[in-house]
Amino acid sequence: MALIDIENLEVTFSGGGRHVRALTGVSLAVEEEDSFGIVGESGSGKSTVLRALCGLTPVTAGRISIDGKPVPSPRDQAFYRRVQMVFQDPYASLHPRHTIDRVLSEPLVIHGLDHVEKRVEQALEDVGLGAGFRFRYPHQLSGGQRQRVAIARALILEPKIILLDEPTSALDASIQAEVLNLLDRLRAQRGLTYILVSHDLAVVSHMCDRLVVMQSGEVVEELTREALQAHETTQTYTRNLLTASAGFTRSPARPR
Amino acid sequence: MSTPVSRQSLGDWLTSEQPVSRSQARLGQIWRTWKLFSGNRLGMVGLGIVVLLVLVAIFANVMAPYDPLLGGDLRTERLLPPSWEHLMGTDDLARDIFSRVVHGARLTLLVVALVAIIATPIGLLVGTVSGYFGGWVDTVLMRITDIFLAFPRLILALAFVAALGPGIENAIIAIAITSWPPYARLARAETLTIRNAEHIDAIRLQGASSPRIIWGHVVPLCLSSVIIRVTLDMAGIILTAAGLGFLGLGAQPPQPEWGAMIAGGRRFIIDYWWVATMPGIAIFAVSLGFNLLGDGLRDVLDPKAGK
Amino acid sequence: MSQLLTVENLRIAFPSRKGPVEVVRGVSFSLGRERLGIVGESGSGKSQTGRAILGLTPVSGTATAERLEFDGINLRNASPRQWRKLRGARMSMVMQDPKFSLNPVMTVGRQLMEAVKLHGGKTEARDKSLAMLEAVQIRDPERVMAAYPHELSGGMGQRAMIAMMLITEPDLLIADEPTSALDVTVQIEVLRILDRLVTERGMGLVFISHDLRLVATFCDRVLVMYAGRVVEELDARHMDQASHPYTRGLLNCLPTISGDTRPLPVLARDDAWLE
Repeated sequence: MALIDIENLEVTFSGGGRHVRALTGVSLAVEEEDSFGIVGESGSGKSTVLRALCGLTPVTAGRISIDGKPVPSPRDQAFYRRVQMVFQDPYASLHPRHTIDRVLSEPLVIHGLDHVEKRVEQALEDVGLGAGFRFRYPHQLSGGQRQRVAIARALILEPKIILLDEPTSALDASIQAEVLNLLDRLRAQRGLTYILVSHDLAVVSHMCDRLVVMQSGEVVEELTREALQAHETTQTYTRNLLTASAGFTRSPARPR
Repeated sequence: MSTPVSRQSLGDWLTSEQPVSRSQARLGQIWRTWKLFSGNRLGMVGLGIVVLLVLVAIFANVMAPYDPLLGGDLRTERLLPPSWEHLMGTDDLARDIFSRVVHGARLTLLVVALVAIIATPIGLLVGTVSGYFGGWVDTVLMRITDIFLAFPRLILALAFVAALGPGIENAIIAIAITSWPPYARLARAETLTIRNAEHIDAIRLQGASSPRIIWGHVVPLCLSSVIIRVTLDMAGIILTAAGLGFLGLGAQPPQPEWGAMIAGGRRFIIDYWWVATMPGIAIFAVSLGFNLLGDGLRDVLDPKAGK
Repeated sequence: MSQLLTVENLRIAFPSRKGPVEVVRGVSFSLGRERLGIVGESGSGKSQTGRAILGLTPVSGTATAERLEFDGINLRNASPRQWRKLRGARMSMVMQDPKFSLNPVMTVGRQLMEAVKLHGGKTEARDKSLAMLEAVQIRDPERVMAAYPHELSGGMGQRAMIAMMLITEPDLLIADEPTSALDVTVQIEVLRILDRLVTERGMGLVFISHDLRLVATFCDRVLVMYAGRVVEELDARHMDQASHPYTRGLLNCLPTISGDTRPLPVLARDDAWLE
């Protein structure tokens, strides 16, 4: 049985008399300790899947279960101990007036965990920042360092499932490599399950064993990493994405 | 002594990029804000005026050469022009105007402080709750706010004072009741942009309750713009208080309230200009001070002014 | 080949609490009718370099250069009047986000026609605008003409923006991350339009981007910038022959679809690169 099971998930946003169907029947199954990728372009609904999963976006229809049990709505405290998320924009995901110390200790206080001091220092150590960063404000950190803090925050409750929403798309290439390596290492060390959402095929292919390609609220194709690397796709859309990801090609009709 | 203590100046300690304790981080943040603010000359002038007002209010007993309520000899000391003996002259009851203005600072400060203490929290609370929850909570709270906003402030204050009876306390209550709606509007608008921020989503995913999110995460971000607005409104509040005093609905004689003093002096304004002018200058200076301070604070605190 | 643009020893400094800080420190290059890529990470000074060429350095900063020449015109002491005649008409700039570059309360058509009228005849402004929108692969130009910027999708908006910048047929286009906000598939289409303008009209293009792989496949020549300096100039076809450790590090640290290096090689910065 899969750890995370999503069946026929539908999400409709309504406002001003208009209804926008963001997800139209998405089904996914993610195994324990798997790293699962969702690739798509803007408006494909890839981030909506994550937000619906963790309860930030209300679900119109469909079922989400973890370990065979449907998740409660609204989500309970136990859910937040198991599932955490890392957001796209490290500049927006940290409160500008809170020190790193407050960011990391608040979840511990909410859940009544002990050894707050030790856990905060350990969490900073784990993401390669060290205790010297503890009392800084976000504006004193670079983008990469902020994203490390965001990862530390997601890990501090020791969850098993981490949802990653474009965790490196706001970072420079060299910083992206560092953050991806960190995520890779943490998953191996702690047996985490990842769902990684990205528009970048290369990032998903690097990080994930299995992936789905999404387009306008639907899953177009499900692939393994090997199939992606061998370009074994059945869908034109996936093939277009693959070609576009390789960079610019002068069309043969217009030779230089 | 040869203890290897690395000597650090206080400034270095405060601006350290690697604070070692919570308090150092907080003090450092305050220090940085102060550095920014102190570079703003007009803001500093405003701060100076406000600090002066506070000092005058505290030391009114020491500063005032005469009793503010008891006049001198009605035959010889009425309506004397400014002189070394009476810096601002005397009024029609032979009271020293300078002493009255100095004691009036207490009343003005009382009005300002009480209105700020009553109106700011109400506005913040209504605005953030309404913006954060949205839906029917928002509709109900905002319609109530609209009702208060629909009346001109002075008219509504007049109505309240008329109902509660004249007096400085009732004037303060009336002003406070009429001044929170703009803060609620402002806090709501700020909350609407903040509540969709990723850091609010993040804390929600940590399992934080709504009161915790509003108090710990939304309010601190709304606070600076509300404080700016309150400071800028102070001039208006002082003027409203003075206006109520002028109309005889605020402070009652013989209290040395600046507005009431102007009202008292207006009968002699042609022949004895100083009686109405001196408290007028005080009102003007303090209003200007609060406005300059508010502008200065906006330059420093408003995140939209650019970092 | 005649040089369209010559930049020699460009320096841009901004004031800070600790005295002026140079964000561009002696950049020199020349451009013919070709695609020149400027690549660098955030803070490398690539965008400021592009802005300085158009005289758009923010007021707080100061840009100096030993030579800054566009088609024989000395830009260093150009008057505001000369700048107005050059900008838009002969040199243009495409920015990253069309939402901030188009006027939100004017229809796209009006903005396009205004650009034509400012620099040419009034009569055929409309026809020319329609033709330009078609040229940037907008399938329904009439509808886009009547639309306000917020009614267009990101890709459409960016194409409308490019159309506006190109309608005056400039000789030089500075494109600052023109496709970074777009999806990959749209990105390639936009690049194709720029590519055609260079090859068919002989426009000079400065393409500023953080995406080394994209620049390598699209441009003819690539300048790699680091901390305000050009650390390496390369022929785009021979990116694999990069000799500077920074360029190599940048190339290596990108994950690839086919590659399976784990962990990814990390760029180790060297203070010597700052010199």
